[in-house]
Amino acid sequence: MRWLRYLNQWRGTAKEALEQVSIVAKFLCLIHVTDRYIISSTHVQGPSMLPTLNLTGDVILAEHLSHRFGKIGLGDIVLVRSPTDPTRMVTKRVLGLEGHRLSFSADPLVGDSSISVVVPKGHVWIQGDNLYASTDSRNFGPVPYNLIEGKALLRVWPPRFFGSLR
Amino acid sequence: MASSFWNIAYQQAMRSGVFVAKVYSFLHVTTNYLAFPAYAFGPSMIPTLHPSGNVVLAERISKPSRGDVVVFQSPEDPNKLPTKRVVGLEGDSVSFVVGPGKNDESRTIVVPKGHVWVEGDYIQNSRDSRIFGPVPYGLIQGRVLWRVWPFQDFGPIGPPTTT
Repeated sequence: MRWLRYLNQWRGTAKEALEQVSIVAKFLCLIHVTDRYIISSTHVQGPSMLPTLNLTGDVILAEHLSHRFGKIGLGDIVLVRSPTDPTRMVTKRVLGLEGHRLSFSADPLVGDSSISVVVPKGHVWIQGDNLYASTDSRNFGPVPYNLIEGKALLRVWPPRFFGSLR
Repeated sequence: MASSFWNIAYQQAMRSGVFVAKVYSFLHVTTNYLAFPAYAFGPSMIPTLHPSGNVVLAERISKPSRGDVVVFQSPEDPNKLPTKRVVGLEGDSVSFVVGPGKNDESRTIVVPKGHVWVEGDYIQNSRDSRIFGPVPYGLIQGRVLWRVWPFQDFGPIGPPTTT
């Protein structure tokens, strides 16, 4: 009956292991809830928000509270789920809220042909700061408000560019 | 001895608080990643759903495909959650009558990448993609599986019943 004795020995260890696992699980839950609903860090890269955000990649802190209370305003840098590819998030600036009239140049490299739109109800107009290298509302149209998932607060990496984004 | 009364009361409160937090976390994880109930009302999904109101169970696991009834955030009003049927996926060519009952003029649209085309089962009284355009995938909240209430109509929500 030696295996019975082994089983009893392991029972104590198993109980302790379970307790530790449950502590880790609770901690992960807390991290998850904070990350998704309060504040999170995101790595953003690409040329579309130059010179505000770097080409090679920045880590920014984004909060996920404002968009739930309708507190996204003109000029905010927001994290939006791409309307063309739902698995991607894009970072752009809000340049128009519902009801606003906007004029933009169809192709900033060529000529001055200007198009005027009114942002429909329930939508926002997002544009990258780098008009020459940004796929944004000028390409895919105004974006429904609910696709906004966060508002950028400040940049935390690289350290020499630490600070608020404007 | 008065202080120990408050100690016990405080401990009880903390224990209840922790229990409530655990229940809430469990519910939150379930409704956000697995399935959630939704209340659907209005004439746009007759005969699949009752106009006077249904409670349905919607799941967030599968990717919506043609013919599914989905709950999504309205592109017109971010606070509304309409329930409609997916009639076209990205790349599909959908034809629809611009004003049913008024004339027969029809239009054909190719559903853009990353979007779906939704229509109510009761075309004559439905605000859907024919009015607000294709809906981005990111706005879809879940696929309707089952009707839970009214009880006499408990059962799966399936393909449109041809009247």
